[in-house]
Amino acid sequence: MIPRSPCLQAVTSLLAIALVPALGSAAEPTLSEERAFQAAVARVAPAVVRIEPLAVSAVAASGELRPGEGPSTGIVVAPERVLTTDFAIPADVEESLVVLADGGRRVARVLGRDRSRGLVLVAVTDLPATPPLEPAARADLAPGQWAIAVGRGWTATSPSVAVGIVSATNRAWGKAVQTDAAVSPMNYGGPLVDLDGRVIGVLAPLPADTAGLTEGTELYDAGIGFAVPLEDVLAVLPRLERGETLAPGMLGIAYRSQDPINGQPIVGSVRPGSPAAAAGLEPGDRLVSIDDRPITRIADAKHAVAPRYAGDRISITLSRETAGETPKELTVEATLVDRLPPWRRAVIGVVPVDGPTPEPGGIELDWIWPGSPADRAGLEPGDIVTAVALEDGPATPTHAPDDLAGMLAGLLPGGKISMTFRRAGRETSVGIETTTPPADLPVAGLARPARGIDPLAGPLRAAPVVKLQAAEAAEPTLAVIPAGTSPMGVLIWLGPPQGPIAEAEARAWQQAAAESGVAVLVPGSADPATWSRGDIDPVLRSLAALHGRRPVDPRRVGVAGSGAGAAFAWLVAERLGTGARGVALVGGGLPRLATVADATPDRDWWLLLGPGGDEATRQRIEADRDRLAAAGYAVGLLPAEPFGDIPSDLLCRWVSLLGML
Amino acid sequence: MNHRLLCVAAWATLVAAITQGGESGPQQVIADAARRVVKLYGSGGFRGLEGYQTGLLIAPNGRILTVASTVLDAGEVDCVLDDGRRYAARLVGIDPQRELALLEITAEDLPAFTLDPAGPLAATGTRVIALSNMFGVAVGDERVTAQRGVIAAVVPLQARRGAAEAPFQGEVYVLDCTTNNPGSPGGALIDSGGRLVGMLGKELRSTTAGIWLNYAIPAAELCRGCDTILGGVAAGPAQPVEPFDLRLLGAVLVPDLLDRTPPFVESIDPGSPAERAGLRADDLLIAVGPLSVTTRAAVEQAVGRLAVGDPLTFVVIRGGGLVELDLGPRPPAAVRQPAAGGRP
Repeated sequence: MIPRSPCLQAVTSLLAIALVPALGSAAEPTLSEERAFQAAVARVAPAVVRIEPLAVSAVAASGELRPGEGPSTGIVVAPERVLTTDFAIPADVEESLVVLADGGRRVARVLGRDRSRGLVLVAVTDLPATPPLEPAARADLAPGQWAIAVGRGWTATSPSVAVGIVSATNRAWGKAVQTDAAVSPMNYGGPLVDLDGRVIGVLAPLPADTAGLTEGTELYDAGIGFAVPLEDVLAVLPRLERGETLAPGMLGIAYRSQDPINGQPIVGSVRPGSPAAAAGLEPGDRLVSIDDRPITRIADAKHAVAPRYAGDRISITLSRETAGETPKELTVEATLVDRLPPWRRAVIGVVPVDGPTPEPGGIELDWIWPGSPADRAGLEPGDIVTAVALEDGPATPTHAPDDLAGMLAGLLPGGKISMTFRRAGRETSVGIETTTPPADLPVAGLARPARGIDPLAGPLRAAPVVKLQAAEAAEPTLAVIPAGTSPMGVLIWLGPPQGPIAEAEARAWQQAAAESGVAVLVPGSADPATWSRGDIDPVLRSLAALHGRRPVDPRRVGVAGSGAGAAFAWLVAERLGTGARGVALVGGGLPRLATVADATPDRDWWLLLGPGGDEATRQRIEADRDRLAAAGYAVGLLPAEPFGDIPSDLLCRWVSLLGML
Repeated sequence: MNHRLLCVAAWATLVAAITQGGESGPQQVIADAARRVVKLYGSGGFRGLEGYQTGLLIAPNGRILTVASTVLDAGEVDCVLDDGRRYAARLVGIDPQRELALLEITAEDLPAFTLDPAGPLAATGTRVIALSNMFGVAVGDERVTAQRGVIAAVVPLQARRGAAEAPFQGEVYVLDCTTNNPGSPGGALIDSGGRLVGMLGKELRSTTAGIWLNYAIPAAELCRGCDTILGGVAAGPAQPVEPFDLRLLGAVLVPDLLDRTPPFVESIDPGSPAERAGLRADDLLIAVGPLSVTTRAAVEQAVGRLAVGDPLTFVVIRGGGLVELDLGPRPPAAVRQPAAGGRP
């Protein structure tokens, strides 16, 4: 901290002296701190303006008041230029109102947006000049130092004050400083200042992808607030001024590890047509550094790439191992893009076994989709895939289903592979052309019996209903768990909201679970009238509790919802992300305001929709199907007949097929 | 900020800290104030309603001020003092406008807060401590919960509970700490000297932003509430505002099909006051006087709130610019125009 004036310096040292007796006694220089807060606020107050919506947006007019449909805050960052958030001025709005301390109103027009950090630059004519802002250098910040959040959302006439500390200096993958000062829609867009009135950053409801939230606003009053460092804002101001929309930069790789934080930074797949593909990255490459920043975990790579914008050029050093040679390091350059080409999964139509790896290694096939490329190439259940070569490439040994999945993820449908498999001790190689995953679930697909079940051995014992007591849950969740010990597929069934589920309801799944070998989790809603976001965590915890009973196969987790439970099922799947492989919305649709992110190798769900009862539902399902298909998902329609209200048999079979490659 | 003043203030605090040996530190301030805060237990227990809140001793003879709520509905309210003594409290009266209630217990020589009727409003940025029985976690002689914060803003209360608008619309302190919790209403808000600044209000949502409010009713307003109750002045609930139909001025707004229809002008009657003032079709109303409006309902409320004869001005957006229009004195709403013609 470098005080600006000798007097402030004196105050600072006085504060230090005054704090000394505080160690031994209870005294605290409360009043001098109070005045220091007010002085810091006074320094930036002239640059802080109130932002009001010009009119109600179309979305808000149709529904309940959302936090943020009211007044918010902005900050004058240059003459006649105000920076605010996309919370105050959502993406579909081009104009807003700026209200000055004297009550004067000005129309603000959007110039540019930073979609990566949720900021908007607006032009405001006839805006009084304000002293320039002084940024607080990020490198000098330390958790624990005072941080004061300033806004004008409450009233234009005087700035609002919230006092806290800097909680962390490098949050949201490096995009923001975190504070415990009260940050809410009222001061989004306002400055977070230090005790000298220097601007630490601009308060913003960051797209909090770090916390798994769909809206950053969910964090208001939670003791977590974010500020985008003013230095970073000033660096992109010229681009916003030119009317650019800055987007998060995408590279186009997925990692081999299922652990997105601590996993090894080894490339699992490269999106065809992506910057990574253009730079020549290949599955198996280990990232060593990005822009001279050392990479040892996946999290390091995310920290290096996430703050960068589309159009930014990054330098990647990687280590590549070729069979029989020592790994060599090479450095490539990639230009990030705002949107990757639509990703379509490439499959050959095989379902690997869920049991242990066969000796002496390889992937044992459990089932072949009838009519699929694998079927046409002559593959059969029981075959063991030992190696796969991409078109013209060297053969890579395959030890586990993820190896095959990783290689296929680097191909577009129509790409060719050569597959070596073992049958009765003999190895054979075949050429296979990949295709898009099947969308509809043909009745033929239901013929797959659960592994280890002998159809001739008489009627199956129904799978038992068990009560799972998840941590911190008020009510146990019912689950139907089939016999066996190998990792099992799981269907999470979210019916219409009704509070705790009656045991009789769970019994409806016993037969289907036994026949398919898939466990069924039947969570209830806390409120008998509605599913709410608060119900998501208990569902995830009961899934963890189920895993404790018998291992869950992460490649075969499906979430299905019916009626009002359909929209909730979508929210649960979004939270699960890569932890879910299929989503079925039975007789219902997506949440009304759902954003549908493009399918990626990390987030690739097989979707089932329908059947629609009345005409309105049918139309909605039709529209949802188009949206989801455009985003790159395989979307199938559920037949209305002959499966009845709860297509238990069909859904369990669907889950058992989710691991199809 | 005057830097010299700041230095003096810092010195003063330093000297105070040394001479008093820390006796007036926040711990002591909280301990003194908490003795004047009581825990109240009453009816409730219905789904979603709490059966407890907080109250303030405001006289040594056992007068307790709290918020008027369903907790008091039973008539029998248990009052637990800081030292754990338990009393049955009797309801003396209610101020429906400020939603305050005065209770009484039979006791003497209790520590009490002093209510200053002439006390000025505390400034934004003032450091405060909130004391309340939030979440009912303080049991028996356990001391109420202390939270620290600052006054974030001093603004008129614009809030609702469910669909109902809060009757009190005077200025309140918005706080930067989360006091909007079950059991907190009726709690004390004190400054760093231990003076009572205000009382934590009921759980309310902001009508402008939709967020939950953390706020306190200023001490002077509490005084007025007490006077209302003790003076037997039946203030009654605030008069509801009669929305003003702009057709009385000759302006037809777009039909209110949705709850929050933007206030666009659909048409203007020829020769009407609206036309003379320069209002035109397709104008979007954004302010009535100093008040911002974003819906048709808000326009009608804002005009209705003005007294007859008060100057009426609109700000509209037209062709991307702002235009201010003077409609002259606000006319009475008594005579309704026939719906078909709508001409003056």
